[in-house]
Amino acid sequence: MPCERKPMRYGHSEGHTDVTFDDSGKFIVTCGSDGDVRIWESLDDDDPRSINVGDKAYSLALKKGKLVTAGSNNTVQIHSFPDGDPDGILTRFTTNATHVAFNHSGSRVAAGSSDFMVKVVEVSDSSQQKTLRGHDAPVLSVTFDPKDEFLASASCDGSVVVWKIDEQTKVTSWPVLQKSNDVSNAKSLCRLAWQPKTAKLLAVPVGTTVHLYERDSWEHVGTLSDDMITQPINVVAWSPCGQFLAAGSVGGFLTVWNAESKLCVERQKHEKGYTVCGMAWHPSGSQMAYTDTEGCLGLLDALPTSSANALMKTHKAPVVKAANDYDDLFDEDDDRVMDEGLSDTHSPAKHPVVGGDDDDDDDDLMPATGRVKNRGSFLDDENSLDTGSLKLGQEKYRDEDDAGSTIAPPTGSSLLPRPVYDGPLPTPPQKPFQPGSTPSHLTHRFMTWNSVGIVRGYNDEQDNAVDVEFHDTAVHHAMHLTNALGHTLADLSQEAVLLACPATDELASKLQCLHFSSWDANKEWIVDLPEGEDVRAVCLGQGWAAAATSTLTLRLFSIGGVQKELFSLPGHVVSMAAHGEQLLIVYHRGTGFDGEQALGVQLLQLGRRKRQVIHGEPLPLSFKSHLSWLGFTAEGTPCYVDSEGSVRMLNRSLGNTWTPVCNTRETCKGKSDYFWVVGVHENPQQLRCIPCKGSRYPPTLPRPAVAILPFKLPLCQTTTEKGQMEEQYWRSMVLQNHYGFLSSSGYEIDGEGQNQAQKEQQELLMKMFALSCKLEREFRCMELAELMTQNVVTLAIRYASRSRRMALAQRLSELAMEKANQLQEEEEEQEESEGAGGHLNSRPHQARQEEHREEEVEDAQEMETLETDGENRKRQSRCLNPFARGAGGSPEKPSPKPISKEGRVNPFKVLGSGKSPSSSGQSRITNVLDSMTSARRPAPLGGSSGKQNKGPILKPLAPKPKTKTQSTLLQMATSKAANKKAQVNTEPAVDRLKQPEVPPPDSPVDNSENKKPRTGFQLWLEENRKSIVADSPDLPETDVIREAMGRFRSLSAEDRLSWTERAKGQSVDPADLKKRKRAEEVGEVDSENAQKEADENIAKKKRSLDSTAKLSAFAFNKN
Amino acid sequence: MDPSEVEFLAEKEIVKIIPNFSLDKIYLIGGDLGPFNPGLPVQVPVWLALNLKQRQKCRILPPPWMDVDKLEEVREMERKEDSFTPPPSPYYMELTKLLLNHASDNIPKADEIRTLVKDIWDTRIAKLRLSADSFISQQEAHAKLDNLTLMEINTTRSFLLDSLNCMFKLRSNMQPGTSAGKALDY
Repeated sequence: MPCERKPMRYGHSEGHTDVTFDDSGKFIVTCGSDGDVRIWESLDDDDPRSINVGDKAYSLALKKGKLVTAGSNNTVQIHSFPDGDPDGILTRFTTNATHVAFNHSGSRVAAGSSDFMVKVVEVSDSSQQKTLRGHDAPVLSVTFDPKDEFLASASCDGSVVVWKIDEQTKVTSWPVLQKSNDVSNAKSLCRLAWQPKTAKLLAVPVGTTVHLYERDSWEHVGTLSDDMITQPINVVAWSPCGQFLAAGSVGGFLTVWNAESKLCVERQKHEKGYTVCGMAWHPSGSQMAYTDTEGCLGLLDALPTSSANALMKTHKAPVVKAANDYDDLFDEDDDRVMDEGLSDTHSPAKHPVVGGDDDDDDDDLMPATGRVKNRGSFLDDENSLDTGSLKLGQEKYRDEDDAGSTIAPPTGSSLLPRPVYDGPLPTPPQKPFQPGSTPSHLTHRFMTWNSVGIVRGYNDEQDNAVDVEFHDTAVHHAMHLTNALGHTLADLSQEAVLLACPATDELASKLQCLHFSSWDANKEWIVDLPEGEDVRAVCLGQGWAAAATSTLTLRLFSIGGVQKELFSLPGHVVSMAAHGEQLLIVYHRGTGFDGEQALGVQLLQLGRRKRQVIHGEPLPLSFKSHLSWLGFTAEGTPCYVDSEGSVRMLNRSLGNTWTPVCNTRETCKGKSDYFWVVGVHENPQQLRCIPCKGSRYPPTLPRPAVAILPFKLPLCQTTTEKGQMEEQYWRSMVLQNHYGFLSSSGYEIDGEGQNQAQKEQQELLMKMFALSCKLEREFRCMELAELMTQNVVTLAIRYASRSRRMALAQRLSELAMEKANQLQEEEEEQEESEGAGGHLNSRPHQARQEEHREEEVEDAQEMETLETDGENRKRQSRCLNPFARGAGGSPEKPSPKPISKEGRVNPFKVLGSGKSPSSSGQSRITNVLDSMTSARRPAPLGGSSGKQNKGPILKPLAPKPKTKTQSTLLQMATSKAANKKAQVNTEPAVDRLKQPEVPPPDSPVDNSENKKPRTGFQLWLEENRKSIVADSPDLPETDVIREAMGRFRSLSAEDRLSWTERAKGQSVDPADLKKRKRAEEVGEVDSENAQKEADENIAKKKRSLDSTAKLSAFAFNKN
Repeated sequence: MDPSEVEFLAEKEIVKIIPNFSLDKIYLIGGDLGPFNPGLPVQVPVWLALNLKQRQKCRILPPPWMDVDKLEEVREMERKEDSFTPPPSPYYMELTKLLLNHASDNIPKADEIRTLVKDIWDTRIAKLRLSADSFISQQEAHAKLDNLTLMEINTTRSFLLDSLNCMFKLRSNMQPGTSAGKALDY
């Protein structure tokens, strides 16, 4: 359609407004509930002149330099225009006036009021008043007959009355309106309008239609309606030529009819769907201003005029030809339909339609409630995407239109069918962005905010600069760079800052890298891109940089500036992220439709063995959203956030699928609040983001603070206990995937954390098992048991048998058998494959075995020391001075570790974690605070000593043999849980790493000690030590032994006796014998250990051991 | 008790800081602190926050009440009410002084906050004087005041107690010779 709807702008505060043009059409004049009259030179006038006329202004009229306003102080005032000087009070009412109107000549003003009266006042002499009484309710609106003979008024009593002014009498009255008790409650403002010039017709908005009444006969001669108008019409206004009638309605529909043909020539929808309450034509008739109840002012431009109309008549055919094919097609269609519908093919209404179809069919009127564009531009929030023309819901309306047009138009008010494209509309592709950046049009913006630091860009009059700041000042001190090249893209890593600028007229697009961790003096390099190639996205990995360009090329550089591989991207890049050797690229896979983006994702591994992990698969996004953050978790799992706040993480254990792990929008308080994600950590589970009130991104000042959100998988029924545990379990499963990935790609992993996670998972499974048991869901119990590790199944068996579910216990024991066999097979396979591995592999294997032995010996040593000095201070050890411990290392543990490693132990330190200070692998100096003043530590990537346990664990190790259990059945049975196994094995691994040169601890002294006769308790402890440690990992050594004694004592007398006997029967070589014994006692030991665990974990109460004999019948027996 | 001791106590209050270093948990008698992750807010006592701040190891986030709007509200409330309103923080004066003296660059609108807190303090001290005055002039034996902070009690304690003692002495010396009525005018 021809007319152009200009964007709305704020004119007044929320509430009723009114608008008019001045006589010359030079100014738009508005009034609003803020009591101001504003004079706009154009819609783009940023500094309109304001005249204050009271607390509120209900209506205004302007003619011949007189501005008449109806204010809240029950008066009608005059101001001079355009100066705005008060010129007295025209008239007063007992309540406020609701509407004022000038007559054609500007000599008289009519005012309707809430006190049921209408007054007609001479402007020159306000004493000459005529009062029209007869309404039974507040007057809604008034209008003069252009010939000055009559006056029409509408009132809340439901009537529209025509008065003879001179005689002050009613001429006629139509009870056509809905009754109400006040203007504020009226469905419609019912602004009447008398046709100018000819003064033949009076237009009255009645519901969703406009009634036309003929002068003198006062007959209802026509109705103007439109199917699009679904809510009452508020305002009608005649074009100055008197040919067109415009109507504005509640809900923001704007319609223009040709009064003669009663055809709708123009439809527009208010961009936000607010109620139109004021409307005025430009004197030339080509523009129309309107205001809404939210105080916004809008303008329709290029409206059909009578002159244009005439022109069109003569030039109709050429114009149609000139239109492009697409429009042409539909135009012809139009003509045909219209010809069918109307006998009068020369209806003037048609011409403007045709004339208007010249270009932007796209940009026209169609109703687009809640268009993303408007919201977007209002919040000014999108750095990446001009969601602008996502014309949602447009098709629906078009369909309706079509339907309407095929039906013969009722009562002569035909709908104009318009050129329609019925299919889904393409979404404009999302613009490329740097993760963690704010929109580039801002003068102060974040160019990137990631886990390393912040790059801020300033671009105002006095300064064009880039600030680089590091979260950890140990990485590098803050930098301030002048941004002479006009960089817009930035990325930051532990090694370098990468900046990039787009090409200008003279200069090529450049990539600048500040390699601050370089050891030579030259810490900067710049690369010019080939002409016509622009950098679109950059990212920094470990030792390399990548830049995606406008020519769909991805260029890799080494961090020192050597050009490396380059390859073509399948589509325009959206964003890139890097972590270690991984590169994650998101690009446009194609055109999305209906607000969707069609994005693809590639994940590459750029290490020594380069490969593509994800081969350009579609990236799942929430409905009608776009990508808003892309990156890796600190642990190296790809992760992204879409504009709906949904955080998704790659699940490597499920075929590289994406799992939603959090929805930040759920945590938002307000509707327009967002979380701006800056980082994701899997261990501890943290989503680091900045809460933004009322916007999508934070301002640079005041400096925003980071908040932490927890993860929550969107599982069903998370309010129930079952749902909660399931959510916890799966969250833990998803978030521990990175351990597998890290260890497989040769990074050091936090074994402690992994064990913790596994333990937690098993505990959750056990809880769920118990819950299902309680709910008598035995099948579900079995399903859960299948997820458990073998030793937890044993617990489950106990639980089942204790709660008298023998059938379940039976099945479980079968399952346990199966699991055990599986485990065994796997290990055998592994062993075989290792054996086949030949020369290279045999050594580590040996080493491992040695290591294992080493550990056993160590255990034995501990026993010895306990034997010698522990025996006689059994009780005293309880009140051992805790401070004494730290002084000389642990006396109970003459371990092979050198004491120096412990450094000076902080005497206040609570041994909270399971790891003894020595195994924590951290050498801490006593006063940690003091140590920080020392000069910054050399910081290899992520390897500063403070970060070993957390943060980006990127510490490549020298290839080492995988720590693995010794693959014998015996071993499996003795060291119980998988986690315990892991623990047992990781500890020596750590030790070995730390000091490979330490001699094996079986010194002659130890050996001699080993030969001493051993007590039953010692044997027992040997067997059970690990389970105790695993059960209560935070016990120090002394407490472990104490605990063990307690447990040993709680054994039945027989059992103790059997242990003692075993001890007596032991030969001189305890190590060998132990193994043999283990083989014999597997079943028994197993059941006892499990019993212990059951005691600890589930029952938490002492039970007599006799029951175990019964229960152990269900425990599987390997022999 | 002198003000520095009260300030010492106030230093145990918890504030949030954003460290720019990385450190594991530290274990102290008063409890564990940390872990410190660069860029991530962590709660520490004021003494540590100030120590770190002085060595430029952190940025202090002002406590939630240290906000111009909230303090204005408190000030209006304090002026309106005759009795003491609950203070924004039990150590508001001490914390304001400590934080504004050492970390005013981390606190937006530091000057306004200083003025507002001073206003609140003045209002409260005026009320305190007034109540002490009426307490003495009405010769009450006991009185109860709610919502006083330690610092406020401390400012008035020594003077009030000394003067009460003094008056008691005077009165008991006076008592034998004079009538009860005359004891009122001092």
